[in-house]
Amino acid sequence: MFLAAEHFARAPQWTWFILFYFFFAGLAGGSYVIATLLRLSRDAHDEPAARLGFYISLAATVLCPILLTADLGSVSWVRFWHMLIDVTPGDTGLSFKYWSPMSVGAWALLVFGFFSFVSAVDAWWGDRQGGALLPVGLNRVFNVAGAIVGLFLASYTGVLLSVSNQPVWSDTWTLGGLFLASGLSGSAALITLLVRYRPDASFSLQRLRLADGYFGVLELALLIAFFATVAIAGEAGRILPWFALWIVALIGIGASLLGVRRPAHVEASGESAAMAPVAMEATVVSAVVLLAVLALRAAVIFSAQ
Amino acid sequence: MTNHWRDIKNADLILINGANPAEAHPVGFQWFMRAKLDPKRGPGSGGGAKIIHADPRFTRTSAVADMYLRIRTGTDVAYFGGLINHVLQNNLFHDEYVRNYTNASFLVNKSYSFHDGLFSGYNPAKRSYEISSWSYQTDPATGFALRDMTLQDPQSVFQLMKTHYSRYTPDMVSSITGVPVDDFNKVADLVGQMGKPDKVMTIVYAVGLTHHTTGGQLIRSGAVLQLLLGNMGRPGGGMNAERGHANIQGNTDHAISWEILPGYLKIPAPGQKTIADYVAQSAPKKSDPHSWNFFGTNYSKFMVSTLKAWYGAAATKANEFAFNFVPKPASNASWMTIYDQALKGSMQGLILSGMTAASIGPDSNQVRQALSNLKWLVVMDALPTTSSEFWRAPGVDPSQVKTEVFMVPTTHWIEKDGSFVNSGRWSQWKDQVILPQGQARHDHWILADIFQRVKKLYQAQGGKFPAPILNLTFDYQDPLKPTLDEIAKEINGKDLSTGKQMTSFANLKDDGTTTAGDWIYTGSYLDTGNLMKRRGGIQDPATNDPTGMGFYANWAWSWPLNRRVMYNRASADLDGKPWDPSRPGITWNGSKWVGDVPDYPPTLAPHDPAAWLPFIMNGEGVGRLFSNGMVDGPFPEHYEPVESPVQNPLHATNSASPVAFLYDQAAGRPSRFGAATEFPYIATSYRLTEHEHYVTQHVPHLVQLQPKPFVEIPYELATQKGIKSGDAVRVSSKRGKVEVQAIVTKRLGPMTVAGQKVYTIGIPIHWGYVGIAADRDPGHGRYWLANALTPFVGDANARTPEFKAFLVNLEKI
Amino acid sequence: MATIKAGESYGFFTDTSICIGCKACEVACKEWNQLQGNEPAFLADSYDNTGDLDAQNWRHVKFIEHVPDQSMTEGNGTAWLLMSDVCKHCKHASCMEVCPTGAIIRTEFDSVFIQQDVCNGCRNCIAACPYGVIGMNQSTGTAHKCTLCYDRLQGGMEPACAKACPTQSIQFGPLADLQKAADVRLAALQSQGVTQAQLYGRDDTVYGGLNAFFLLMDKPETYGLPNASNAVLPTRNDVGGYLAALVTAVLGVIAGIVAFRRRGPA
Ligand SMILES: Nc1nc2c(c(=O)[nH]1)N[C@H]1C(S)=C(S)[C@@H](COP(=O)(O)OP(=O)(O)OC[C@H]3O[C@@H](n4cnc5c(=O)[nH]c(N)nc54)[C@H](O)[C@@H]3O)O[C@H]1N2
Ligand SMILES: Nc1nc2c(c(=O)[nH]1)N[C@H]1C(S)=C(S)[C@@H](COP(=O)(O)OP(=O)(O)OC[C@H]3O[C@@H](n4cnc5c(=O)[nH]c(N)nc54)[C@H](O)[C@@H]3O)O[C@H]1N2
Ligand code: SF4
Ligand code: SF4
Ligand code: SF4
Ligand code: SF4
Ligand code: SF4
Ligand SMILES: [Mo]
Repeated sequence: MFLAAEHFARAPQWTWFILFYFFFAGLAGGSYVIATLLRLSRDAHDEPAARLGFYISLAATVLCPILLTADLGSVSWVRFWHMLIDVTPGDTGLSFKYWSPMSVGAWALLVFGFFSFVSAVDAWWGDRQGGALLPVGLNRVFNVAGAIVGLFLASYTGVLLSVSNQPVWSDTWTLGGLFLASGLSGSAALITLLVRYRPDASFSLQRLRLADGYFGVLELALLIAFFATVAIAGEAGRILPWFALWIVALIGIGASLLGVRRPAHVEASGESAAMAPVAMEATVVSAVVLLAVLALRAAVIFSAQ
Repeated sequence: MTNHWRDIKNADLILINGANPAEAHPVGFQWFMRAKLDPKRGPGSGGGAKIIHADPRFTRTSAVADMYLRIRTGTDVAYFGGLINHVLQNNLFHDEYVRNYTNASFLVNKSYSFHDGLFSGYNPAKRSYEISSWSYQTDPATGFALRDMTLQDPQSVFQLMKTHYSRYTPDMVSSITGVPVDDFNKVADLVGQMGKPDKVMTIVYAVGLTHHTTGGQLIRSGAVLQLLLGNMGRPGGGMNAERGHANIQGNTDHAISWEILPGYLKIPAPGQKTIADYVAQSAPKKSDPHSWNFFGTNYSKFMVSTLKAWYGAAATKANEFAFNFVPKPASNASWMTIYDQALKGSMQGLILSGMTAASIGPDSNQVRQALSNLKWLVVMDALPTTSSEFWRAPGVDPSQVKTEVFMVPTTHWIEKDGSFVNSGRWSQWKDQVILPQGQARHDHWILADIFQRVKKLYQAQGGKFPAPILNLTFDYQDPLKPTLDEIAKEINGKDLSTGKQMTSFANLKDDGTTTAGDWIYTGSYLDTGNLMKRRGGIQDPATNDPTGMGFYANWAWSWPLNRRVMYNRASADLDGKPWDPSRPGITWNGSKWVGDVPDYPPTLAPHDPAAWLPFIMNGEGVGRLFSNGMVDGPFPEHYEPVESPVQNPLHATNSASPVAFLYDQAAGRPSRFGAATEFPYIATSYRLTEHEHYVTQHVPHLVQLQPKPFVEIPYELATQKGIKSGDAVRVSSKRGKVEVQAIVTKRLGPMTVAGQKVYTIGIPIHWGYVGIAADRDPGHGRYWLANALTPFVGDANARTPEFKAFLVNLEKI
Repeated sequence: MATIKAGESYGFFTDTSICIGCKACEVACKEWNQLQGNEPAFLADSYDNTGDLDAQNWRHVKFIEHVPDQSMTEGNGTAWLLMSDVCKHCKHASCMEVCPTGAIIRTEFDSVFIQQDVCNGCRNCIAACPYGVIGMNQSTGTAHKCTLCYDRLQGGMEPACAKACPTQSIQFGPLADLQKAADVRLAALQSQGVTQAQLYGRDDTVYGGLNAFFLLMDKPETYGLPNASNAVLPTRNDVGGYLAALVTAVLGVIAGIVAFRRRGPA
């Protein structure tokens, strides 16, 4: 199915805006997914962390279209909406191409924006008013639906790269999964990092670290598969110049993996006395993980170009 | 061209020597490709014409040729000589043609000789030949040449020629040219097949042959081969010069060269007092009873009609038709001579129009010196040139240049109508495309204005010899703004008794009743209109090209008399049948000649007792294998370029041309020639497709295609010197240097010549200190002029500079 | 040439064996399409100073030197490969496949055309085109490439590049005619022993067939062109990419559920 093709394509010059878009899309989708899972844990103590996740998701989501529009440049940014509506004269209509990840992704971003916005408002309502905006059952269904879109948003960017004729990108089937795993890992880390501003969420801290550890395992497996597929395609030479970025990405995965071991002293959740050391360690680890999420994407984007 | 561009599609074999048509004539090159793609053409059983490109460099022409020969520059006489020898030794020549249509049977004077590189009659002090020994044995009674139709007489041209070229064995050819013997033999084998009547070969050349001290003979050697193979006069054959600028053929026809008047009439010489004197010394003489000698016979008619066109009523029988108004230069006045004179300080001023002296001539540093010796310089051009800017060239201190420079803006060809005459002698009228821009004026208006002002000065102040100026015909509607249409009409000429346009130069008279501005153009502009405007082309081939040979008689007009293939009587056999019925030039149909416009009386039957020999223009009536028309020998002989890394393997003691004019030596200036010890590499200069000499330095799209000067360096040599593509290098000769980037390529390679390994360095000519690239360059193109390298010496006959072969050194910088 | 009719397939047959590298096609394209061209740059790469196809160069003549050391070369056009490259107007066009805005369409002449008023400059097509054809024009913010002279075709005129080509190396016409001509030419070359000559894109082995196809004098890779096994469409990776993402999603969700499962008293 995957051909090790020799490539003669030009580079699309996707650089900084796209890098950050990929980063925030991963966090937007990932945070929403984690928030939903936390809410579904049936443990009420996880709700503060879940709400934190929804807030993060909205914040990251808002940045996405800005970054994408900025990438179109000073002339074409006003035409961002052409992603959704085909303005071909005489043949105007919605633009949706299921085979083009960029087309599907644009719609996914729109739809996800709706979920993300509603869930964040719902969380805010809960925080402000104490009650729920939506009936609990409906809210959970809504969250699950949003999480599915979120999973898509966090992963399609990798598929988008693969659905091209660029070296490296199109030589591997791993990018969608890899970006998703790293997006989830990064999201867990980001929530962890921000728990310090929301102590009531610290109950979930340990579990977030554990989840991050699992995501790290996934990511590591996919990264190995990535290297293997690219090497088989004979394009390993393009990856090597970005050695430093790959190392940062690997360190990040290593940091995630630390979450799998269970430090005993965080068992006593919610106790502020135990918080300080944990926060320190979690902060550093999370920052490293987040940096690695960025580095991974940068390494992938730059390797092809 | 004896033939024309479209005719190349009719060839079976195409020899390209000293030309790079894919790059210098890309549009004309389509006809080479048509021949190649036509399965009916080609040697043997066809399958497409074969193209053989002999060039020191593997070029874009070589890229699509069937065979490429890496030949050392300046050695094509040896190459053609070897082919001539092959054809003669193996009896591959076209027997009937050679016997009847060439001077092979003519007997040469016994005093003619050739020893050790010198023909008889050499005067070393004068560096010239006394050519009386290069003449025919004549019948004392008639004065006609003696002939031996068996070709066996040892004094026959045929036998002398066989002896002369017997020295050009494949080994000798290889030793001189660098072409491996095997490769040469393969070519010889193909060429040898072209003497068969049903096969035909064309030779195409350009300035790769002319830019040598032996330029004239390089071309003659090809023509001799073509005569032996019976290929002159035939469609698909001929000796075809691809000309330069769009209208350089028209320039030449209208006497751009100092030694001719319009229509290739000779410039009068001192001592000639009457037209009769002039004709006696200038016109070819009939040397066979069956020779028509059309040119010689009508010389006085052409000259008198020209004088009548110039001086009108002031040219009368009584004053020898104003013959004494015409200058009779006592010495050479060719291109290099002009700058030689300026160098000597014997020139006041110079008007340059449509060319840039500072870039184009050899030894441009010396030429620049010559320009700064002038009092004034006028540059007529649409754009700044290296001449208009020479006084502030990089490295020049303007305050030290005393020359006053006037830039007179002219229109470009695109801003006016008029004719372009292509290499095939087709005069094609074009329209004005855009209006004159800015203050630009037409060249002919500027010249008219200058003329009128000079005339006024003569009228007011008198002067030494006012008559030629005061009496010049200038009866244009607006004497300050003649139209090109009026001039074209005037060039055609008219019958003064009827006022009608002349229809043919055959009707010109020497009694003062006809005019012709340029007799070879008579017939181009009739009372019915300007035939150069005709456009009967490929919209309707059935009507416009009924023979399918590509003559397109209703397209524009070609001289002479709309004939498309010159000497076309030779395309048919003694009975008037085409040598190859599938490729007829002209055919005798029983009552007249049909096909192309015949180079022959239209109804003169081939077996009429009065029938003329086929080559009607020259004295012999046949093609000349042996000629006394050249100053450097009756048979082409190989001489080394003036600067060469080897001694001539044929005759080391007379290695280079013994008669090439050496300006510096003659003027007592120190020699500016270099030796191989100091300058070990051969260099040659040439054009690229992407630029037209210097003028396209102003064209952004073309500057993008070739943005910077470079030299091409053989891979092997570059490797020895540690030079890589893109490195800066210095190429220097005895005269100057260029400092540009290198392109390292296997397209240039080593050659083994006279047992020695030699390398050729390629120098494109297009850059200087004017134009977009120079403006972008921090050094402003200071060392970019290719001609800083070239030697100030030229062809012994035409004095065309030796741009194509000189010695240089190469350094990485 | 016959009249140009909407509804028929048009294209180019570029016969590199008779290309003389004169670049008339490059310049004619720029003149007709009013492309300024890039800043001059000396590339010291044979006679090529254009470098690539891009937004300013919709035709680009490649110069590939394969000159053998010995002086005589036999076989036309094999030692210095000259090839005028252009958009291939692929039957299965990678660019068109991925374009999210619908800017890239097949015209009534069966050419692949970027509608300038629809394109929003996302550059997805650039990442996709396997021939490196498309470039971004910074001043319009849109993607540019050969239009197959859409405007000229509509006016019944052949494309500027083909018109300017002196040797008819670029032949324009109805695809079926061109394919026939190409077969004849290939047969002629083969019979002359030029066995390395081959047609590229004439059949459907690359991208379902190229409307702008070529006669090459060497392997496609030598010219920097994908061969039949390298000629793959971007969407080949849709399934695999999404599948890997799906599996990751499932595993990720399970991982989350496991990590967040209730343990101990609430
Ligand atoms: N693109 C372009 N076309 C032009 C011009 C231009 O400037 N640019 N200029 C026009 C003008 S004015 C002219 S005169 C013509 C000239 O047309 P060409 O004569 O074709 O042009 P050149 O490049 O000067 O030289 C032709 C070839 O001769 C080769 N050569 C050099 N010495 C020898 C030799 O001794 N023997 C052989 N066999 N080959 C040799 C050179 O390597 C070169 O490839 O081109 C005209 N066409
Ligand atoms: N080393 C070396 N030197 C060479 C050669 C070589 O092969 N090697 N080739 C030689 C040859 S063959 C030639 S022909 C020369 C070419 O040398 P040039 O003739 O000097 O070259 P161009 O750049 O073509 O110059 C033509 C000029 O005419 C101007 N022009 C165009 N139309 C008109 C018009 O209607 N009226 C006027 N007044 N001007 C006009 C243009 O603007 C331009 O400046 O170079 C020669 N020099
Ligand atoms: S520039 Fe003009 S004259 Fe020269 S090849 Fe092109 S069309 Fe012919
Ligand atoms: S060559 Fe590239 S730009 Fe042209 S149609 Fe094919 S994929 Fe599209
Ligand atoms: S840059 Fe324009 S044409 Fe290319 S994919 Fe994006 S919208 Fe389509
Ligand atoms: S078809 Fe038109 S747009 Fe395309 S390369 Fe040729 S000239 Fe340029
Ligand atoms: S115009 Fe024709 S011959 Fe010239 S480079 Fe282009 S394709 Fe080749
Ligand atoms: Mo010339």
